[in-house]
Amino acid sequence: MIMTDQGKTGEAITILLVEDDAPTCWRLQDALVKAAYEVRTAGTLGEARSALAASAPRVLLTDLRLPDGHGVELIRETRRRFPDTEIMVISALGDEESVISAITVGATGYLLKDAFPTDIATTVRDLVAGHSPISASIARFIVRRTQNSTEPPPGPALNTARLTPREIDILWGIAKGFSYAEIASHLGLSRQTVPGHIKNIYRKLEVHTRSEAVFEAVQQGLIKL
Amino acid sequence: MSEIAAKAPARPKRRLIVSRLVPYLLLQALIVIATILGLRLLQPSDPEDFALSGFSLKEGGTTRPVTLPHFASSRYSLPDPPLYTGAFTFRSGDGGWSVFLPRFSNAVEVAVNGVVVLDSRRDANANRPDRNTPQIAAIPSSLLHDGSNEITVRLFVWGPLKGFLDTVYVGPDAALRPAFETRTLLFVTLPVAFSAWQSILAVILAIMWLMRRREPVYGVLAAAMVLGVIQAFVPPPVPPATVSRLAGVLLATAPIESALIVVFSVLFFGWRWPRYGILLFAPGLIVFAVGLVAGPPLPRILFLVLGIPTVGLSLVLMACITAATVVRRQDAASFTIGCAVTIVLTCWVHDMLSVFEVITNERTFVSRLSYSAMLVAIGAGLTWRFARALNQVDSFAGQLVARVREAEERLKANFAGEEARARAAALANERTRLMRDLHDGLGGQLISIVALSERGQEGATITEAARTALKDLRLVIDSMDDIGGDLMLALGSWRERAAMQLRPHDIALDWRVATPQGLPLHPELRPWHVIQIVRILDEAVTNAVKHAAARHITVTIETHDDGRGPYGVISVADDGRGFTLCDDGGAGGAGQTARGLRNMRSRATRCGATLDLSSDESGTRVRLQLPQVFPDSDAAAS
Repeated sequence: MIMTDQGKTGEAITILLVEDDAPTCWRLQDALVKAAYEVRTAGTLGEARSALAASAPRVLLTDLRLPDGHGVELIRETRRRFPDTEIMVISALGDEESVISAITVGATGYLLKDAFPTDIATTVRDLVAGHSPISASIARFIVRRTQNSTEPPPGPALNTARLTPREIDILWGIAKGFSYAEIASHLGLSRQTVPGHIKNIYRKLEVHTRSEAVFEAVQQGLIKL
Repeated sequence: MSEIAAKAPARPKRRLIVSRLVPYLLLQALIVIATILGLRLLQPSDPEDFALSGFSLKEGGTTRPVTLPHFASSRYSLPDPPLYTGAFTFRSGDGGWSVFLPRFSNAVEVAVNGVVVLDSRRDANANRPDRNTPQIAAIPSSLLHDGSNEITVRLFVWGPLKGFLDTVYVGPDAALRPAFETRTLLFVTLPVAFSAWQSILAVILAIMWLMRRREPVYGVLAAAMVLGVIQAFVPPPVPPATVSRLAGVLLATAPIESALIVVFSVLFFGWRWPRYGILLFAPGLIVFAVGLVAGPPLPRILFLVLGIPTVGLSLVLMACITAATVVRRQDAASFTIGCAVTIVLTCWVHDMLSVFEVITNERTFVSRLSYSAMLVAIGAGLTWRFARALNQVDSFAGQLVARVREAEERLKANFAGEEARARAAALANERTRLMRDLHDGLGGQLISIVALSERGQEGATITEAARTALKDLRLVIDSMDDIGGDLMLALGSWRERAAMQLRPHDIALDWRVATPQGLPLHPELRPWHVIQIVRILDEAVTNAVKHAAARHITVTIETHDDGRGPYGVISVADDGRGFTLCDDGGAGGAGQTARGLRNMRSRATRCGATLDLSSDESGTRVRLQLPQVFPDSDAAAS
């Protein structure tokens, strides 16, 4: 399976792994190398930036709490400079606080630090194949935000206004633990279209809007008003 | 001792009465004197240069000289009235001359040199004996000739009052007219103005009474004023009147009106109206009844005999009532009304003296005028009091609004405090549960990790313990999230964790949800319920992995409804080798499984759920029947 994937692209998939805890880093690296991915590692934000400057990886896996900064900055930069790079956040608990804040800057999923090696490899493979993984708890967090409530629930801000009713239905299905096939049959969809919807959901939750881009450009002195 | 005690309060009371009543009475005496002086001073002055006093009176066939003012005897027949004949000297060149009669009773016909120049009977106002209406008439110059001219005055009298003819003035019109105008203003225009004012007040008071029926004082005063107005504008019951019977009936208005004023003052000062008080209306009603039945002059006689004394009696009663109120209350209203009553009473006495010829030189009736003025004053005072009451109501309403706002704010603050307390309590409860949950799961697992590493155990065992600890930590964190009463959202996360746990063991997790909704919504669902349920399911899965050597685990989620509301059922079934159950429902072995099963049962009880276990060689099945409503308190935990 892995061989076939690599066969398609013709070359090894490059992964940049940013993790400051050495044992965790080794563990993830072992699992990924065993699955024949080409893995570069970085322990700090600075190292990660220089690694990105050298060449763009196919996949970026990054922890959020880094010694010299926050992984969110790295995700945002990478997303802007290399739109084709798939980004995942490495999380200890998969809690909404870290995962959602990563999603809003461009990440499309998370990897648990204690995941079994096979699961690590599978998740990355699916990600490269265009299947953004989404967990039940993240889906639950998103759909709870789409419900009308007078005061916003605690946690990171999330704009769910652009989600379509269909996408929200899919998120409900995931949150309740249904498989893609079950969701597809409940909603009268083809099973193959569900991952596409999920990718769209991620894209829509990104706060990288045009006005924000203009703001950033002004900030960096690229545009003079 | 007791006698002294009984007398003690009486003496200060008497002293109080004396100390209050004497100054009041002295003041009233002063007012009487002032009124008399005022009446003297206000007596309009007449142009004495042109006075004619010497007349000869021809009455009943006899002629005798008289001096004006003169009282003619009372009579009830109009033909052959007393005829006063006098003479005056005319000097041409003084412009037009007039004849001016300041006061007469009841009507006059004036002729100069045998030609009638004035007949007062055509003037309804002049026919009223109570109005003091003056008359003036220009004498055509063609009638006058230099030197002596003759003037004759026929005085029409209708009993029972005596006729009266004041001094007659003949002279240049320019000299007489100002005195006439003054008298007209005082005795004709002013009463009309008062009556108009009274009618307006009557309307206002009537409206007040209509809107506030429980305050009859307004209604009584309005009725009195209506009667006064009727009396002022209706023609008097004298011979020229065309509707003499109606006019006779209306004579009753004055006594009734005065009785009403007494009722008003009794009510106004908050006294109880005595039952025999109704007798005060009797004279008025008698006059009324007689007026209906008999023609004049009987009603007039009755009026004089019954009506006028009733008015006087009413005034005296009012004076007593106000005096008593002044003693009792010492307030401005009773004091003012008391003084006004004294003035009116003085005027009434003055009129009586005039009627009985004690005061001989004039016959000016002032009680009606003063009474009208008093009524207007009372009406104005009442209106003022009413307006002040309205203001008080307004300010009271304002105060009420402010108070309500204050109370509201206090309540809000209380409520906010209460809410904060409740929230703090809920938070403390949650913290306690969280600590217990962490202690039950994570704490124990971390301790066993420590113990295992200290004993130099195999890495795999430690890994297992650490993974369990992590899983439990995730469960606790996950259950803290708000799932809005939808247990399916918690089960969704659990499915992921269970699948992750089962994958290395090559055990397939079969997930069967009967309906897309899955389980009924439970708004009362709390995190600690979720933790208990998920731990039960975890235990079931762990048992299947560790002890049953199962290949498949099937989780079935259904909703049942047997008429008492929907409830959920979650079943975890494996295809392992099963185990033997004891009588108490525990596992046969005394090992970990037995303890695990006991734990599952107690957790189920705490959430109000029912746990059923069945196991045989084809596998084990755990059936968790959720309650219709989750219990609020964790009774079984303590």
